[in-house]
Amino acid sequence: MADLPQIGVSCVEYVLDSNSVSLEQLETRGLLVSSADRLRAFGFSEVKLSSETPHELANRAAQKLLEAGDIDPLSVDAVFYVGATPASHAVGSPAAMSAFNYPVAWLQYELGMSRAVAYGVSQLGCAGLMTAVSSARDYLVSRPQASRVVCVSSDVLPEGCKREMIYNVISDGACALLVEKSQPPRNRILAYRQLTKGYYWDSIARKNEIAAAYFPTAQTVIRETLAEAHTDLSEIAWILPHNVSARSWEILLGLLETGGERLFTQNISKIAHVIAADNWINLKDATSLGKVRPGDRLLLFTFGFGANWACMVLEH
Amino acid sequence: MGHVVLLTGAGGMVGEALVPVLAARADVSQIFALAHKAGVRVRHENVIPISGNLQAGSDLGMSDDIQGQIRDRVSVIIHAAADTRFSAPLTESRAANVEGARNLLSFAVHCPRLRGLVALSTVHVAGKRTGLISEDDLEHCEGFVNSYEQSKYESELLLRQSMPEVPISIVRLSTVFGSSVSGEVGKYAAIHHALRLYYHSLAPMIPGTADSPVDLVALDFAASAVAHLATEHFEPGRTFQVCGGADVLTVGKMLELTRQVFLQYRPSWRKRRIAVPAIVDLPTFNLFVASVHELGDHLLQHSVSVIEHFAPQLAYPKMYDDRHCAGALEEANLRKDPVSDFYPKVVRWLVESGWADRTIVSEAVLG
Repeated sequence: MADLPQIGVSCVEYVLDSNSVSLEQLETRGLLVSSADRLRAFGFSEVKLSSETPHELANRAAQKLLEAGDIDPLSVDAVFYVGATPASHAVGSPAAMSAFNYPVAWLQYELGMSRAVAYGVSQLGCAGLMTAVSSARDYLVSRPQASRVVCVSSDVLPEGCKREMIYNVISDGACALLVEKSQPPRNRILAYRQLTKGYYWDSIARKNEIAAAYFPTAQTVIRETLAEAHTDLSEIAWILPHNVSARSWEILLGLLETGGERLFTQNISKIAHVIAADNWINLKDATSLGKVRPGDRLLLFTFGFGANWACMVLEH
Repeated sequence: MGHVVLLTGAGGMVGEALVPVLAARADVSQIFALAHKAGVRVRHENVIPISGNLQAGSDLGMSDDIQGQIRDRVSVIIHAAADTRFSAPLTESRAANVEGARNLLSFAVHCPRLRGLVALSTVHVAGKRTGLISEDDLEHCEGFVNSYEQSKYESELLLRQSMPEVPISIVRLSTVFGSSVSGEVGKYAAIHHALRLYYHSLAPMIPGTADSPVDLVALDFAASAVAHLATEHFEPGRTFQVCGGADVLTVGKMLELTRQVFLQYRPSWRKRRIAVPAIVDLPTFNLFVASVHELGDHLLQHSVSVIEHFAPQLAYPKMYDDRHCAGALEEANLRKDPVSDFYPKVVRWLVESGWADRTIVSEAVLG
């Protein structure tokens, strides 16, 4: 049996609105459930709100990716567009038919990725982009002629929507990744595990059960992913989190019996939880700050409504 | 002429199980079954249900007539009344468990035929101690996990001080779980509520380690042991530990047995894929509890409150020496079933009795 091609996430770009909104401002506008003080104690400080549509944000992120990575749009074999909410999956207008105006097709056209086949990835909540990366890897493995997949995630919550969900504070934003075969690959994907528990599909009715199930299931998925990567937590240079509360990460690290010194936390306070984009924004920023060295192993974990627990181990 | 027994707490979990066991003994002729709020459900020709309140004073809240009858005739007192709420304020626990015992002692010194007073206690008077706890051990400075433990500890101190005046022995029970025969649980305790949270996916973690011992005792064995130690084998000045002793589950084994029973007897539970609670260190558990109290909603706070007042005990691993007790029970051929036999039986009974069907939501709303 031939060796599987080596595949990695070679380029990451993201866009967030430049204007930050503080927790206190959110509280004044009635967009929080808990008090600003409480959420600040849990590690949050401010959020990014966007006035753009999800597909406009996605377009900007993908454009930035193509430019930064000097990527020929015609070299892209597939594009995966990820959105956690239904609003992200239609370029809306009052016409009923607009529900079929899919942003992934628009993106393919706008960005000139004429050879790329287009896929929408939905119903995975904040785990969507990691699932897309895994699917992109599978796509490339199964097609010897294909070499590049662009994954784009974008979500903008409706105006006036509560910004606090299960004790976390949500930002708008978009992130684009290039998943490709290369030798040697950058951010090579060593392992990926996803666990879906449909019992928790109703995120309103089962809010408390989700909060309780989150920790032991996260512990299981992370341990299984590390085992699949033939590594353990002591060999992980950085944990790149989804930006849920710093408090919940402190608890999860307790379950994993490790300290927080390798957890990249700076974005929890600065940009809060950008739906599916967090881990990849953190990968980009940790790399830009020179914190990640060649050969470092990185652990990315996220949870998405649905309910999906997902974990990936990369080698930088 | 057989013993005339005054049983306090006859409406409680252990007291209720004791009534028929005592009534069936040939060496017991009459039982005054004293209950406060719950009343006495067991009916038997030798059982006289009476109402009273140990916190009312040295008359125990009984009428003069009843007091007189009991004082003149009682030869054995079994003190099973207690406030067993782990989350009660210490003042309330002390009022019931220390002052209640004090009032009973005041009553007992005026019982001329009294041969023995057996006071039920808990092995958890050992509080935050770790290691092997002997039956003679009591005083320590390690602290307690909850107000129940502390108040029963203080009660034992009081009882020991009173031993020169009153013939007293102390019987410490470990966590009473259910019947080793039928699995039936007469009254739910904290452990049954905690298992129900696991069933409903509301128990994310418990403190301790996978090999932390969990000492459980079957209700029928506990009742038979207490009856024997109060009558045939009364030994003043001694403390007995009615517990698993060397036969304990570990936290890991208990969770696995629970999961297996849930899967076997509620097949529909399988598809929920509910995670086994994580076993974490105490600081992590406490951080989770504090976070829920800071931010969680009413249901989650209620769920956590069920666990937080007793589960930390698992972070202080200990075993209980029961050799003296086992020797005393051996003479009556009283032997306990292995915990690995009765534990699944009780969990099965819980599952099949509809214990899980009352939703946690309604309980949280009702408080």
